[in-house]
Amino acid sequence: MNRQVLTVFALVAAALACLPMLQLPAFYESFLYLIFHWVVLATSWNILSGYSGYFSFGHGAFFGLGIYTTAVLSGKFDWPFLYTLPFAALVPALFGVGLGAIVFRLRSLRGELFGLLTLAVTFVIATIILNTPIDGGPGVYLSAVPIPNLGPSPSATFYLLALALAVLCVWVAYYIYCNRLGSGLFAIHDDEDVAEVQGVPTLRFKLQALAISCAFAGVAGGVHALFVSYVTVSEVFNIVVPLNVVLMSVLGGSRHWLGPAVGATAITALLYAFTAGDFAVVGRATVGLTLVLVILFMPEGILGQILKRWRRSQKPPALPKPIAPAAMTIKGAAGEVLLQVDDVSMAFRGVKALSHVSLEVRRGEILGLVGPNGSGKSTMVNVISGFYKPTGGRLLLDGTDLVPMPAHRAARSGIARTYQIPKPFTNLTVLENATLAGMFGGQQLSRKLAAHQAMYWLEFVGLAERARALPSELNLHQRKFLELSRALASAPQLVMLDEVLAGLTPSEINHAIAMVREIRQRGSTILFIEHNMRAVQELCDRLIVLNYGQIIASGLPKEVMQDPAVINAYLGTSQS
Amino acid sequence: MTDTLHSEALFRAEQVYVSYGDAPALWDVSFHIQKGELVSMVGPNGAGKTTLINTVMRLLPVRSGRLMWRGEDVTSLNATHMCNRDVSIVPEGRLLFGGMTVEENLDMGSYRPMARPLKEQTLERVFALFPILKERLWQQAGTLSGGQQQMVAFGRALMAQPKLLLIDEPSLGLAPSVVEQVFEAISEIHKSGVSILLIEQNAARALAVAQRAYVMEGGRMVSMGDPKELMRQPHIRQAYLGEAAHE
Repeated sequence: MNRQVLTVFALVAAALACLPMLQLPAFYESFLYLIFHWVVLATSWNILSGYSGYFSFGHGAFFGLGIYTTAVLSGKFDWPFLYTLPFAALVPALFGVGLGAIVFRLRSLRGELFGLLTLAVTFVIATIILNTPIDGGPGVYLSAVPIPNLGPSPSATFYLLALALAVLCVWVAYYIYCNRLGSGLFAIHDDEDVAEVQGVPTLRFKLQALAISCAFAGVAGGVHALFVSYVTVSEVFNIVVPLNVVLMSVLGGSRHWLGPAVGATAITALLYAFTAGDFAVVGRATVGLTLVLVILFMPEGILGQILKRWRRSQKPPALPKPIAPAAMTIKGAAGEVLLQVDDVSMAFRGVKALSHVSLEVRRGEILGLVGPNGSGKSTMVNVISGFYKPTGGRLLLDGTDLVPMPAHRAARSGIARTYQIPKPFTNLTVLENATLAGMFGGQQLSRKLAAHQAMYWLEFVGLAERARALPSELNLHQRKFLELSRALASAPQLVMLDEVLAGLTPSEINHAIAMVREIRQRGSTILFIEHNMRAVQELCDRLIVLNYGQIIASGLPKEVMQDPAVINAYLGTSQS
Repeated sequence: MTDTLHSEALFRAEQVYVSYGDAPALWDVSFHIQKGELVSMVGPNGAGKTTLINTVMRLLPVRSGRLMWRGEDVTSLNATHMCNRDVSIVPEGRLLFGGMTVEENLDMGSYRPMARPLKEQTLERVFALFPILKERLWQQAGTLSGGQQQMVAFGRALMAQPKLLLIDEPSLGLAPSVVEQVFEAISEIHKSGVSILLIEQNAARALAVAQRAYVMEGGRMVSMGDPKELMRQPHIRQAYLGEAAHE
């Protein structure tokens, strides 16, 4: 976190807190209250949806649960208003975690379906509240609930409450943005499966983000219940809240912690400026038109665009100094069994991709895995990395079975991989991509140290000059080396290189071969999947050949490659 | 090369300059392909080979220079126009429609109106080249093995009835025996009268099948000539065939 940002933030908050001393007409305080109200709602939405990309249209449900918690507790059970607020946070947060615990486990519920589901949940809750004694139809009155004396007047009280909430919410958004949770959520945004395999505990992170998001929406609802003093289901659970928070965040810039606050201020002010008299319709039209223009011309939002301009005018900040990672702690002696694949089978809807494969990876070796396309090599990598759960068998890493663990645990215990078709996090820079691997892989470094080490690995693979580029600006060859640098930045005990040499010219292959040797030198064990037989022969200590999901040969590379079965199934008659 | 050769060329690029944003990718590139020729481009990664193929297919805008296709200036046209002018592409990394079946992918290849009526015939031709595709017609393309996917990519490009076929890295990620099969198919396609522009990292293979070859480095054409001649040049041997300098 940046000290300058925090200072400015504290000063602005303090100045705003002094505002009621000016004894302004209540109108201004109410107007500012509304702005802060929307700042909280938009920012809290963004913590889940902007950061992780899980677009929720259910923010109205969490907001509404908060409203009704306060309305019922204070309006029907006569609790003091301030006491109800913690419950207004807790009820939606618990509800969100319960919902997330089911929904976030299902791979089919990503993207649009998640959005639709959360919207549906909103209407289910509305129906339940409307048809039970919670509301029952007539709405809940809070006009008899005493307003606490936090400020010189009731409107000042609401102003101060909303300000405190907005400050806290934006600060939390900033804190998350700067910490592991934020990094993990942005990784989930770009590719959840890759994030998990790199060691990000995706399910826990999503649940945390959702709980925080729901809690803030709920408290904002609790305060708003007293502010409007009469709540009805049709006013609370309509499309206004979920739609507004999305628009505000997108307008302000959903990839930045302050973006939603900017968007919320802009839209609330615009709408308010036009609500008087006949201009309400014009106001809505203006807001609509602004949004269309912003989305067309500023896809990163107002704040995103301003920051981009500003960064361009500034000299780019210095890249972190490369720091070589500490020597790897090697737990066992060379030649011991590091990973034992024991009778592993993997079937997809009855089609067997691997059947009863058993092999050992020994510490310090380069083990080659070759075979025709479709023979199960990549499936093997996916199984070892934990992305696929095998339909049978065990995977013993240093004696511990990895099969029952979630994939991020495998990454933490020191397994890393590269993808045959590179899968970088597309919205993160090259440096951020490599940094993330250090933060979440086998090392669990702080972001700062991870960035220094990431630079070291980028230099190692020759990408240091492109550290600030986005993956889309790299060519295929560079993206492959980005994959490699990510795998290395996690300081893996076992690294699986899935066709890293494909697409390189012979002289580039010579260079890459030297690089792979050095990786082994540093202490990593390597599972080397490759079609380039020259590289396989030069690098591998042992070779295993797969065909139709079964091992057809294994042993020293020279011997294996002369095996007639291997020539027949894989190499073809005239070797290249 | 003389101008008379130029005027007969099927495709011709004149001093083409292409950039990604501010970063130049092709500098002053000129080359041509004769009717019925198989031309290979070799060079290191980042030399601009894929950019060149995407430029020919009109997937990238040209900053300056001119592209001529059978005497017509096609610089300002797009990829659909090129497809309708009998140019098709087997892109780097195959880029199949992964959720569609093999049959649907091939069908997409014959999308252009001129290829439609000939669909059945062309399909037979594709099956003759890659018999395995006939067995896999109803399989989802994304679930095929890498080699079979590459065959679908070839099939899809052929379904458009091309006169010029652009092939980008056909051996990428393929097992050695499949690489052989793919190169046999390239020779077959060439023999049937289709002109080919081929990019391939395995320079030895690329030069072996070509009638003429260009060498690219850093976005520029650095030499052109007979593949056998090029293979004898020590610089080429060292840089692209992976021979160590001391050998």
